[in-house]
Amino acid sequence: MGAGDSALASAERVAAKPAVNQRSGGSEDAPPASLVPVRGRGWGPSRVAVLALLAGLAVTAALTVISLVLYDRNENRLLALRARELGLVLSAAVPTIQTPVASGAALADATGGNVEKFRAFMAPEVGAGRQFSSVSLWPVGGGAAGPVTVLGTAPALATQQARAILAPAAQKGKLKVIAHLQAAQPSIGYEFSTPGVKRAFAIYAESPLPKSRRSQLEANSAFSDLNYAVYLGRQRTSRNLLVTSLKILPITSRKASTTVAFGDSSLSLVVTPRGSLGGAFFESLPWIVAVSGLLISLAAAMVSDRLARGRQRAEQLAGDLDLVAAENERMYTEQRNIAQTLQHALLPDALPEVSGLRVSARYVPATSGVEVGGDWYDVVAAGEGRVLLVIGDVSGHGLRAATTMASLRHATLAYAAHDSRPGAVLARLSDFVNSGPHDYFATVLCVMIDVAGHRLTVASAGHLPPLLIDGDDGHFIEMEVSVPIGVERDAPYHEASVVVPPNATLLAFTDGLVERRDEVVDTGLARLRDVATARRLALDELIERLPDELAFANHHDDTAIVGVQWRT
Amino acid sequence: MADVDEGPATELTFSTRVDPGGARVVSVAGELDSSNAQMLADTMAGVLAERPERVIFELGALRFMDSAGIAVLVRTAAAVETVEIRDPSPIVRRVIEVTGLSQLLRVAS
Repeated sequence: MGAGDSALASAERVAAKPAVNQRSGGSEDAPPASLVPVRGRGWGPSRVAVLALLAGLAVTAALTVISLVLYDRNENRLLALRARELGLVLSAAVPTIQTPVASGAALADATGGNVEKFRAFMAPEVGAGRQFSSVSLWPVGGGAAGPVTVLGTAPALATQQARAILAPAAQKGKLKVIAHLQAAQPSIGYEFSTPGVKRAFAIYAESPLPKSRRSQLEANSAFSDLNYAVYLGRQRTSRNLLVTSLKILPITSRKASTTVAFGDSSLSLVVTPRGSLGGAFFESLPWIVAVSGLLISLAAAMVSDRLARGRQRAEQLAGDLDLVAAENERMYTEQRNIAQTLQHALLPDALPEVSGLRVSARYVPATSGVEVGGDWYDVVAAGEGRVLLVIGDVSGHGLRAATTMASLRHATLAYAAHDSRPGAVLARLSDFVNSGPHDYFATVLCVMIDVAGHRLTVASAGHLPPLLIDGDDGHFIEMEVSVPIGVERDAPYHEASVVVPPNATLLAFTDGLVERRDEVVDTGLARLRDVATARRLALDELIERLPDELAFANHHDDTAIVGVQWRT
Repeated sequence: MADVDEGPATELTFSTRVDPGGARVVSVAGELDSSNAQMLADTMAGVLAERPERVIFELGALRFMDSAGIAVLVRTAAAVETVEIRDPSPIVRRVIEVTGLSQLLRVAS
């Protein structure tokens, strides 16, 4: 990510800066430009969100199309079934026309054309609101002569038509359908004569059609969910239209058609659904799918967007934290450098040149932390071929421990100038510290070295014993350890006197060199002795290498080491 | 990486009570070092405010003590008549011994 990269780069820049620049540069350097938080890439939808939305829309579209196709197929199938059902109902209506007509024809034949009987028989079928508006009895072959008798209105049968249909050769025994669709009062006529030798009469009946040809199915009908159009014959033209429930024809929407036999002709039935045959739910299913898919897609896009933004923010925050960490690291390094500079300022600038004696010292700051330590050492010429070696450790850390250390160090040198016996130096130092209120103590080791006489006089105020090395043999100087400085008023400080071999090495150190958390101090001392005597090293090299040889990584305490080595 | 934010890195628990003889008993467990010695020092300031004649440190469960811990013991020793160290672990006992404080602090096992 951009922010992370720049933070990293900034951290590297800081790390790459030379230490000396960091110390002086701290106040003049403006904070790195990249410290200004880099905000997100605007407020547009994230790429993930757009992808989620597009994917959701694609799926929604596919599902919607599928459900539309399924709905369409289902509606077509249902409509075809309804058309067939309605066709069957129409077929069933044919006998209700044919039966009274055929019966009337048979009666006329049987009674030799008895008008009275015919009229009496047919009367219930004729009149307003009944099956027929007109029924007439005709002699076969007597088309021109006109009807024998007429019930209801006068037949609309033209002479030409009558002659044709009443001809003896005309097909008999079948209901003949004659349409008068273009008449002022449209009607449909039926002719029937009984087949056989006695055939003498034909019957002709007419049923009126609505003038507008429009007729609604009753609301409680089983087919009230359909609109329909019925045509006579197979031609579905307005000329052939018998009756319809529709204002406008032809039907252009979803439709199904069927043809049923109707006397010597046929009826063509075309139906179209008024609503959804499968029910309102199935009709709206594609829209439900589309709308819910759309909503889900939008929700998914919003969730993706939030997640993406959250991640972006987290990355950005991590980048900011990197910057802060880098800045902390820089400030830490700076403070650590200040602390170490101060520490070195508080320690001796140089060690004395002493004939017959090598002198070396090293101060190792703790591997972490910005505090100044309270460890110190001194090696000073004391006259008469003698050298005074001092090492000490003020309890605690920080500036207070360091300033205390500095004052103890200078006091020690001052007292040693007056009376250089180690016990006396420590006693005076103890008086000095205990004369006022204080909340620290210090361990101090004081060694007066008689270089030519190969003799040491040692006094310890609670300090770890020095190591005396002779070739590959080493031991810690055994002596009575007195209490640390600042603990007890008027405490006695004992001295011990030790004669050393000609090429001896004396090492004094503070506890940081040997102290480990999980072991008795004797274990650390033994380790130091083993490492220090393993190779006969020159003093400088020994002191230089000791910390590393003692697996000194990650030590949490400052450490001072000071040593002397007799030259041959 | 520098451990700038090194808090109380080590675990320390302590409690105080008064024994039948009237001595203040301070039980210290865990590791006592510069990161947490001030907590014990604050508690000891409260104990010393009552001017007891005798303070007993029970250090049986104290695994480690550095000079900051010793400073707390030493300050206590400066303020009361008698300080006693009971049952120190070898690590703690040797720290007291090499510091020349076994007389002052009256180490008993």
